[in-house]
Amino acid sequence: MTTARFPARDKVAIVGLGSTQYTRDGGKTAPALAIEASQQAIRDAGLNAQDIDGLIGGSWNASPAPVYMQAALGIEEVTWTVHHLIPFATLVISAMNAVFSGVCTTALVYAGLNRMPGLSQSASKDPFRQRMVNNLGGLQLNGRQIPGLSSSYSGWMQRYMHQYGATREDFGRLCISDRSYAADNPRAIFRNTPLTMEQYLDARMVREPMCMLDMDIPIDGADAIVITTVERARDLKKKPVIIHAATYGQVIHAEDDQMPSLDNFSKHAVMRNLWPKSELTLKDMDIFFPYDGFSIIYMNDIEMAGYCKRGEAPDFVKSNWDAKTNRFKINDKILVNPHGGALSEGGNQSAGHVREAITQLRGEAGARQAQNELKNALLISGSLFFNTVGLVLRTE
Amino acid sequence: MDISDEDMLARLPGIRIDHDNKAYYRGLLQHRLLLNRCKTCGTWHSPPRATCPKCWSWDLVPTEISGKGRVYLFSFRNGVPAHGNPSEPSAVAAIELPEGVRFTTTIVNCPKADIRIGMPVALVWVEEDGMPMPAFQPASN
Repeated sequence: MTTARFPARDKVAIVGLGSTQYTRDGGKTAPALAIEASQQAIRDAGLNAQDIDGLIGGSWNASPAPVYMQAALGIEEVTWTVHHLIPFATLVISAMNAVFSGVCTTALVYAGLNRMPGLSQSASKDPFRQRMVNNLGGLQLNGRQIPGLSSSYSGWMQRYMHQYGATREDFGRLCISDRSYAADNPRAIFRNTPLTMEQYLDARMVREPMCMLDMDIPIDGADAIVITTVERARDLKKKPVIIHAATYGQVIHAEDDQMPSLDNFSKHAVMRNLWPKSELTLKDMDIFFPYDGFSIIYMNDIEMAGYCKRGEAPDFVKSNWDAKTNRFKINDKILVNPHGGALSEGGNQSAGHVREAITQLRGEAGARQAQNELKNALLISGSLFFNTVGLVLRTE
Repeated sequence: MDISDEDMLARLPGIRIDHDNKAYYRGLLQHRLLLNRCKTCGTWHSPPRATCPKCWSWDLVPTEISGKGRVYLFSFRNGVPAHGNPSEPSAVAAIELPEGVRFTTTIVNCPKADIRIGMPVALVWVEEDGMPMPAFQPASN
């Protein structure tokens, strides 16, 4: 039952989808990849450049600014632009706001990514990567000499293990599930490399207790979508995917190490606000997209969604494990990150989750297509800390 | 001993020092761990900000902490050697201070396997890249 004001409910739809191949060293810049994905998305919607009057661009890892993209795509005039902090799901809300308000009518949402030179030895040997600018999109890391963000994820992972008795195997199971699903996704970096528990437990520690497999795999790649009004969407060629409910969530002191406790994360704020804005409940959700930039976020999001109580996700995953396919599948029906997630498809700050939700709801996922009837998708995106988002997408 | 702005900036290269956090960094050079405390309502804050988030007072006093605390979060930077023990990775820990805030730094003088959530610790000073850094070590209470 809806209890919160949400006039944008079911008024805005996603009508176009475009993505590049993902690679580790593709030899293309983030702007070139963003252009490729954007052209595809606009064509997929059956539109052309001059139909776009809003540009909502991701700002992470060298993703280009709207002023660049407008010129690159040859768009004569736009009436709204934003260069936006991750995750991609936030950009979807931003575009929904712009279309619903009327400040623009048809928005292109895009993010182009290049692996940063500091992320691996091979990336650091690429002379072009050395000159790339890492745009953190206005994210102000505290000006201190002590390391922050990724250590905090692993610190909270340690705290989760301490409070609820979770083990590395519990996190390994999530990584294995993503890897198994990725086998059906031609875009996934890890499509041909199934993962065993032994391999997971032997993987190199990066931020103990977090090993390299608990962290998403950096990529060169881009995703784009086109968003417009539901009325306009009905005249376009693809089945509209409608934004039913959307919220951001943030609690005070969401700075990584100051966050209140495991019982008051920003994701709690997302879930406190998402369902009151929706006419649906968790029981209506036919497919689930937790965020998995780090495995601790994935674990957290299962509980945040309400599938089980705090601290019970490890057991919930075990009791919803499809042993034949090595996949986490809820009630033997609901697929969870069927594209392989950020851990196995590639780290795209939830662009892959949004793309796969649209693809599945359209019925275009091919070998990966869910066997249950899909009407509603639940996405919980973003970090544990400050950039957390909930989305309910649906079809008519 | 007063330390001029120019001297502080020269002695702490590469760190983003600004008007909001300069008292904290000047304190490091004197081996004093200073966190902001509101003179109006008494609340402690970290990281440094211009005003008190609780009562919006601008009357903040960088104040030395007691130096006691307990480990709230911890993790390791694998590949980065611990201070004084290069065979083990450096710990990163968020220390819960009795002042009511957390302070994140490294733990020293403690074998990796002995670090626990809830462990009592006390402030100690180490050098990192030639700069003074506040760290914590095991304490009796």
